[in-house]
Amino acid sequence: MANGEFRLRVRYGKTGRLRWLSHLEVIHTLERSLRRAELPYAITQGFSPHMKVAFGPALPVGTAGLEEYLEVWLTRYTTAEDALARLIAATPEGLAPEEAVFVGEREPSLGAALTIARYEIAVTGKEATALQVQAALDSVIGEQTLAVVHKGKDKVYDLTRCLPEEARVSDSEDGSVISLTVRMGPEGSLRPEVLIRAAFAAASLDASVATTTRTATLVETKEGWARPM
Amino acid sequence: MTRTDLWSRVEPLLAGVERPARYIDREWGAAHDPDAGYQAVLIYPDAYEIGQANQAIAILYHAMNALPDTAAERAYLPWVDMSAAMRAAGVPLFSLESCRPVREFDLVGITVPYELTLTNVLETLDLAGIPLRATDRDDGDPIVIGGGPCVYNPEPFAPFFDAILIGEGEEAVAEVVAAHRGAKDAGLSRHETLAALATVPGVYVPSLYRVLRSDSGELLGVEPLDAAPARVAKRVVADLDAVRPPVCGIVPFMDVVHDRFGIEVLRGCTRGCRFCQAGMVYRPVRERNADSIVRDVMAGLACSGYDEVSLTSLSTTDHSQLEEVLRRLGRRLEGSGVSVSLPSLRVDAFGVEMARLVSSGKKSGLTFAPEAGTQRMRDVINKNVTEEDLLGSVQRAFDAGWRRVKLYFMIGLPTETDEDIAGIGRLVSRVLHTAREVTPPSARGSIRVAVSVSTFVPKAQTPFQWDPQIPAEEVRRRQGVLRESMPRKGVDLHWHDSEISFLEGVIARGGREVADVVEAAWRGGAVFDAWTEQFRLQRWLDAFESTGVDPAAIANVERDEDAPLPWDHISAAVSPRYLRAERAKALSGVTTGDCSFDGCTGCDVCGELGVDIVLGGASRG
Repeated sequence: MANGEFRLRVRYGKTGRLRWLSHLEVIHTLERSLRRAELPYAITQGFSPHMKVAFGPALPVGTAGLEEYLEVWLTRYTTAEDALARLIAATPEGLAPEEAVFVGEREPSLGAALTIARYEIAVTGKEATALQVQAALDSVIGEQTLAVVHKGKDKVYDLTRCLPEEARVSDSEDGSVISLTVRMGPEGSLRPEVLIRAAFAAASLDASVATTTRTATLVETKEGWARPM
Repeated sequence: MTRTDLWSRVEPLLAGVERPARYIDREWGAAHDPDAGYQAVLIYPDAYEIGQANQAIAILYHAMNALPDTAAERAYLPWVDMSAAMRAAGVPLFSLESCRPVREFDLVGITVPYELTLTNVLETLDLAGIPLRATDRDDGDPIVIGGGPCVYNPEPFAPFFDAILIGEGEEAVAEVVAAHRGAKDAGLSRHETLAALATVPGVYVPSLYRVLRSDSGELLGVEPLDAAPARVAKRVVADLDAVRPPVCGIVPFMDVVHDRFGIEVLRGCTRGCRFCQAGMVYRPVRERNADSIVRDVMAGLACSGYDEVSLTSLSTTDHSQLEEVLRRLGRRLEGSGVSVSLPSLRVDAFGVEMARLVSSGKKSGLTFAPEAGTQRMRDVINKNVTEEDLLGSVQRAFDAGWRRVKLYFMIGLPTETDEDIAGIGRLVSRVLHTAREVTPPSARGSIRVAVSVSTFVPKAQTPFQWDPQIPAEEVRRRQGVLRESMPRKGVDLHWHDSEISFLEGVIARGGREVADVVEAAWRGGAVFDAWTEQFRLQRWLDAFESTGVDPAAIANVERDEDAPLPWDHISAAVSPRYLRAERAKALSGVTTGDCSFDGCTGCDVCGELGVDIVLGGASRG
């Protein structure tokens, strides 16, 4: 290890009621969990020393996540199993860690590495059958670009780049479920609700998003998409 | 007993409101016992992020959950967007832990932290579906009990509460619960239950008292009916170390106002500043001993995972063992990245020394409260701080590397002249000059002096309780004098809204008639009045008019020292004779010492209540 630190990568979920936390609230909660777990975390040098920890891409308020990642740098070695057990015992159930591995210091950061996000979005409404929703989506995606106004600024998304897979919709008890895959980039990531609402508006469909869950965040490798651990 | 779970009706509302984390519970440290036979809900009547940090509620939550077969849950006032959504959907106010309607609980405890939260108290009751007035409640309604800093004049909210606990609650709650349970087991009527609660020392039951007025409307007194006590004296915990504070409490998800582990290191303050209600009503001083403090800090950090601990009290830097505590904590926390913070500091070398002990590299700002701009004025209010003390502290602080200082002052104090106000500006100039002198020229650009000037509001149970509050118009004129006197550059000046201070003053010393005003204001839409963007003065002006209550007659008139006061039946155990003597000394500019270190000053608290000053864990005797 370059500077005597061990880089622990942890996969966790954001589920149940805790889907309603903001990204910042998730970060603060996990930092406190790390402290309660008494993991020997490293502290950054410099003017305002703080825990050396990094997080994957943000999840908005209301969106759950099944495979999210954080990294923490430890100053002493402990087995990944031991670290995971202690972390599980110190974390609220809705953010429960599931797996932990050590990764090499040269590995790219989580923010740079995690570029693929898979989502499942439950849709309800009077016109929310798989057939109707699929048609609306296909229509908007077929335009290849999507213009939105976000926080007063205009943004144009290149959908051929942002959506590396076809969007699939299947029927469900309350309406339908959309499976969508988004490629995230440094220029900004397309939020699934934004695309879907644009599709419903364009088709004047009586349907709305009920819940959104990010089912996986993945890295793009030569062999295809994979978990970062 | 009905146990409704509202979660399936609450969750659908969350997507449409700000900060849904306010309503979801499940924080680390939150737990509840749904099977306990006696269920209480403790409510801080403001948004979650304000109330969750409140240590008093945390203490009561901890104390009640430790009682046999008893459980306490929490509730806060939903923000305006959520309460609108709840009303539209027919969802009543719910507790966090079990998402249960507040109305289903045996006991509803609502703290009254600040005068401008009264409309929030009504909003809370209304959202819960509980009749606003105690006299309108029946056997199906919970007992609503109040507490908190405003109880020393409870009359403006008395009609809304079945009972009000005066003073410290951690021991009293056990007695309240026992009395209530006993009454339930015996099948007593609501009235009989309240009478039983009135026998618990420190519990004031407003419905057992009537307000007597002369034909011309002057207050004659607040008199007990039946067997209620003529005066209700506050409860005091004699030995803080006998009651372990909540160490493994709830850790909120949200960024709350004090996002750190708070540990109370002492209670009470006997410096005797004459304007300060807290100093009068939290006597005597009782310190926790250093061993308890260090033990509880380490346990609290381990339980919570916070990276900052705050040693809280009215005047932490007066704790007789503070230096020992800070050195021991410094050793235990070395290299952990955890920092210790102190609330405002004593204005002297010691204060700065203690700040140095806790600062590690990063130096944010130091806070001092000189309160007045001239020595004469400081002597009148008994704030025993000299200009030399202040400038010396500033010099030490900036010499040690601090670049920001915050100063608290007040205007509208008794005997104040424009000269005294101009004195604030002159003092601030000297502070700025001193700061610049000891700071290297290259760093002078980062010097920040913030000055916050509030308007004096005379409070009940203080030597100035008879003094008139300055009318809002005169306040504005004096604020103009203040602004003129300030240095042109280098100072961030903030002052308090004169109309809000006026309203505080009316509620702080009003009688039971003010409750009608509060209700009228609430019906007119007043809520979250302490939040500037929600406050509308007109609602209150309309309320005064429609109820016929003259606010100026309450706030701006000098009271006769021999005339009855609306709070005479509530005792903080400081003798009225002492308050009068202190007022006389104030008018002559004579100071009084701190009885924790100098001799007894004769306020009578210790004798009245059978307690004593406790320093370093040892009773002073």
